[in-house]
Amino acid sequence: MTDRIPAVTADVLEPVRVTGRPANIWTDTARVILRQRSAQAGVAILGLLLFLAIFADIVAPFGPTQDLRYGDTPERIARLTPPCVHLLGCATTNPQHLFGVDGNFFDVFSRVVHGTRISLFIGFVTVGFAIVLGTLIGAVAGYAGGWVDNVLMRLMDVVLSFPALILAIAIVTVIGSGIIQAQLAIGIVAIPIYARVMRASVLSIKERDYVTASRALGESSRGILARRILPNALTPLIVQGTLGIGGAVLEVAALSFLGLGAQPPLAEWGSMIGQNRNFIFNAPHLIIFPGIALSLTVLGFNLLGDGMRDALDPRLNR
Amino acid sequence: MIVALGLVVAACGGGGVSASPSGSGVSSEVPSEQPFESSGTFEPMAYPEEPAECGFEGDADHGPYAGEFSQIRAIDETTVEFELCYPDVSFLQKIAFSSFAILDTASLENDMENHRVLARPNGTGPFMITEWQRGDHITMVRNPNYWGEAPSFETLIFRWSVDSAQRFVELQAGAVDGIDNPGPEDFAAIEGDSAFALFPREGLNTFYVGFNNNPQIEGYDNSTNPFADQAVRQAVAMGIDRQQIVDNFYPPGSEVASHFTPCAITFACVGDPWYEFDAEAAQAMLADAGYPDGFSTTIHLRDVVRGYLPNPTQVATEIQTQLRENLNIEASIDVQESGTYIDNADAGALDGIHLLGWGADYPDMTNFLDYHFGGGASAQFGDKFDDLVEVLQVGATSTEDADREAAYVEANNLIREYVPMVPIAHGGSATAFQADVENAHSSPLSNEQFAGMVPGDRDQLVWMQNAEPIGLYCADESDGESLRACEQINESLYAYEVGGTAAEPALATECTTNEDGTLWTCTLRDDVTFHNGARLDANDVVLSYAVQWDLEHPLHIGRDGSFTYFSALFGGFLNNPPAEE
Amino acid sequence: MLRFILRRLLLSIPVLLGVILLVFVLARVIPSDPCRAALQERATDEICEAFNARYGLDEPLPTQFVQYIGQVLTFDLGSSIRYNRPVSEIIFERLPLTMELTIMALLFASVFGILLGIVSAARRNSPTDVVTMVVANIGVSTPVFVLGLILAWLFAVVLRDTPIALPPSGRLTSGIDIRSIPEVWGITDLQGPLRAILDFVSNMYIFCALITGQWGAFLDALKHMVLPMVALGTIPLAIIARMTRSSLLDVMGLDYIRTARAKGLGQRAVMLRHGLRNALLPVVTIIGLQLGLLLSGAVLTETIFNLAGMGKTITEAIQGRDYLVVQGLTIVIAVVYLVINLAVDVSYGFLDPRIRLR
Repeated sequence: MTDRIPAVTADVLEPVRVTGRPANIWTDTARVILRQRSAQAGVAILGLLLFLAIFADIVAPFGPTQDLRYGDTPERIARLTPPCVHLLGCATTNPQHLFGVDGNFFDVFSRVVHGTRISLFIGFVTVGFAIVLGTLIGAVAGYAGGWVDNVLMRLMDVVLSFPALILAIAIVTVIGSGIIQAQLAIGIVAIPIYARVMRASVLSIKERDYVTASRALGESSRGILARRILPNALTPLIVQGTLGIGGAVLEVAALSFLGLGAQPPLAEWGSMIGQNRNFIFNAPHLIIFPGIALSLTVLGFNLLGDGMRDALDPRLNR
Repeated sequence: MIVALGLVVAACGGGGVSASPSGSGVSSEVPSEQPFESSGTFEPMAYPEEPAECGFEGDADHGPYAGEFSQIRAIDETTVEFELCYPDVSFLQKIAFSSFAILDTASLENDMENHRVLARPNGTGPFMITEWQRGDHITMVRNPNYWGEAPSFETLIFRWSVDSAQRFVELQAGAVDGIDNPGPEDFAAIEGDSAFALFPREGLNTFYVGFNNNPQIEGYDNSTNPFADQAVRQAVAMGIDRQQIVDNFYPPGSEVASHFTPCAITFACVGDPWYEFDAEAAQAMLADAGYPDGFSTTIHLRDVVRGYLPNPTQVATEIQTQLRENLNIEASIDVQESGTYIDNADAGALDGIHLLGWGADYPDMTNFLDYHFGGGASAQFGDKFDDLVEVLQVGATSTEDADREAAYVEANNLIREYVPMVPIAHGGSATAFQADVENAHSSPLSNEQFAGMVPGDRDQLVWMQNAEPIGLYCADESDGESLRACEQINESLYAYEVGGTAAEPALATECTTNEDGTLWTCTLRDDVTFHNGARLDANDVVLSYAVQWDLEHPLHIGRDGSFTYFSALFGGFLNNPPAEE
Repeated sequence: MLRFILRRLLLSIPVLLGVILLVFVLARVIPSDPCRAALQERATDEICEAFNARYGLDEPLPTQFVQYIGQVLTFDLGSSIRYNRPVSEIIFERLPLTMELTIMALLFASVFGILLGIVSAARRNSPTDVVTMVVANIGVSTPVFVLGLILAWLFAVVLRDTPIALPPSGRLTSGIDIRSIPEVWGITDLQGPLRAILDFVSNMYIFCALITGQWGAFLDALKHMVLPMVALGTIPLAIIARMTRSSLLDVMGLDYIRTARAKGLGQRAVMLRHGLRNALLPVVTIIGLQLGLLLSGAVLTETIFNLAGMGKTITEAIQGRDYLVVQGLTIVIAVVYLVINLAVDVSYGFLDPRIRLR
């Protein structure tokens, strides 16, 4: 079942390996990527989100779990008040809440903004975890070959034999609900993808001249893996990883939606949607705004990932 | 109040019937005025053949028996006697419960082992099961031979959805005639729309904020536990604005709890009412107790919607906010999976604060107080309070109302003083129906009866509740969703009045007790047939109880074999396995 | 080819054993037990000990596992603790719904995805193309549960009382019944595997109503399926549209297309007659790959639209600690998954002879 995941293989690194000037590899690569229109859009969206995440405390008028009835300027406001934007004709006598108020007297806009921080963190950590473990497994399997390869990759097949969400639900039920546990579960489920990418890279590079040469020169296996093979497998991993972040954010949100991930009152979008799904008909703003934020984040990573793949993969280069 | 009525009716019976020894004479000579078709010889059954030994302490073969029944026996075709080990003031309330429905002997014998009884119980009720499309709906049709007033419509359909929003939309779309538990936020919309009618349901339940004064957690240092200090518990009791919680998060019809037990239950609200909210006084008390700057703790809960807690996470968040704003107590929220949570609560492993509640099984004080604070209670609140345990014992065993009342005055005051928990609310709920459904109602025990309703000019009534019934042999069911479905097809000797809690005769025309309350004699209706056409007789009653009661009965199978309500209400099973060495 | 399939089947055996072991271990190390999960507030230690003894849950885990493997090898998946019914029966009534939902979603995604892809490619870089691709990108990024909830709100609440209002839950309007295939064909006496297959298919309401000509029920079932189908099918639709477009553009750049164009054929004719057939090869594989995604999405779709399919049943069983149901259903899904993957891989070989199957 080697071709299940539309994996990016080591081939994609060919056009970017700007030999001789290792210092400029990254800037050159970035330039190539940014020539893609989708990558530009992705970078723009992610830039905005990153800005919101960093400056959440300044952008958001309230804290993510600040009860509007208390604090320095207590407001007399009803639960589930729909959005009120003064510029759009909402009476200025009413307090302004761009995205409305939720069931706990929290300002939804502030929660959505603070949620950016959490979701970006979730995306990077989850995929980072999966990449590290996946790379390790894939590298060992690819380099060692034989029964080690067989056992490891069959193990990966086992993990891949489940629909991702169902396996993640089972794992979270075992280790308990929570945002960390949800990331762990989604991370584990994603490992095989990176293991396969890494293994494919290793297999395609292993027999190349410069690797054979290093081996002939007496370099140790570990050294070859770390110094020769890993750097060259990095590009496909990063492309796959960028595409994977969007998916990871989505899947963690799905667990939170089911009540197995982030626990209230944490301002995590999936959990906000799940907790308020019974209000979809009388206070849809509780669902729609976190929903848009979630889609936008995933969109950003997908566009950037697509752009990278298109830029780095000659077969799709147009 | 209504409950009291039921109890009075029970007490009025007086010792009319003397215990006739079982098996004496074959009562095949049915009095001729009884309109029985000749049903062959009737051999009255007694179970067990020799009365069970009350308070049996156990021997090599069997464990101890502390249950309520000594023997259940048929006297003739329409007379059953229950010989008890001790008097039981709530006997009629208990036998009216839907777990003790009477099923046909032949179908119990034939359908138990192959589990058919779980899907197609052969009862006597106004509706008969015709189809159970698992996961989707249950279809019942009217019982043409029903002894009571036959339903006015042909088909009754049960559907379910866990989302209140979805239930409401189905009602709005006209796809269903009635729904259970509309979301609190939708009450206003339903009441404001002339197409629908809302039927608020009084809350026979309690939601409370519990404390553990001595958590059973390995390595836990109880000297650092602020809740080991009664003064801290009292301060929190005073520092939570319960009115805010009820106003904001509970549907109309809910009440702030004045006592642990809802006031509709006799003796529930005797003694002093709960503390008034006073944030300043509470802060002062907390400071006196050594916590001028508050402390940090954890709020444990499970995210499970119940009548007593319609919105768990929002209420938890609200309590978190209030603790912070009113008392400087910083609480983190810990949501646990439901089963694990109950496990931990029972084991006393929840430190800090935990949110739980209780809904009435049968409307009596013992069902609320004894379960939580009595001698047999779990370690949920930590160390028990001995004087409270004692006084509850008095309340449960006295037969005189005055004695019971005195005991419960003291019990309620002790609870107020010790504050093992803060009772927050009795959560109201509701049902909502299309406005043209006549006789629509809600029942405080959640056992709505659809047989008497008239769904406009339609020939079917569609009901949408929270969840799918698990099984329809309700002797072995304990969830309200299953019980409600059972109540349409099966009947017990007594029944709760429609829309109320009083027990009134159903399959029995009456049950009377002797002077010391240890023998109950029930006379059955003589015009009842089961769905399969068989006649109801006294032996059906004996067997229906015996299969639940006796662990060694070959038909003691059920769905998972727990028969929870029998042991909970009647004190335990017969023929327990011997205690292990 | 045959050897390839055989080899893959053999390779599946250890994977399947691994699946069974993993599921078994996962199910059993979940904290709490079925007794507490079922009885909740009313559970006591005595009742639960008796309960566990009754179900053999107090035996050591390895013993239980060996017993379970033995059962599974004889195609016996055991009985649900919660419902006291055979797991196979539960699968038999839940799988058809999930299959129906998945097939409908895939159909929706393929038809509209390919159409959009063609339109986009035909008018490359036109506003139509740009809008289509932007929409496709947004589609790929919208979570099933957000889309599902918003669709339900839109079509059941906002558009209520209009002709395009759609039901937000369930499979059929109450009172509308679908007669099973054996009933309609008057072969209720039939027994054995054929009957089982017919009953199984009868549980796929839309299909059953279609082939037996129960038009009223067919329309009603279809109406109930629209929202779940769209919610579940949107991500695959977007993926298929993008794939069709890029694949078509690839093919259009190839020599033989240039030749065809040089022969004087119109752009549209070239694209439809020569380009499309070849461009669709990778699209077909991508459609196969979507099945896995759909099974994950089905969990959420079934939850939101209150459909008792495999996904919802597994989540409920996990919550209820109904071990054998969790195990049985997951194993069946894993088998389905393995078979689909095998089929996809084999289809590579058929569609693209350049790929050597080893």
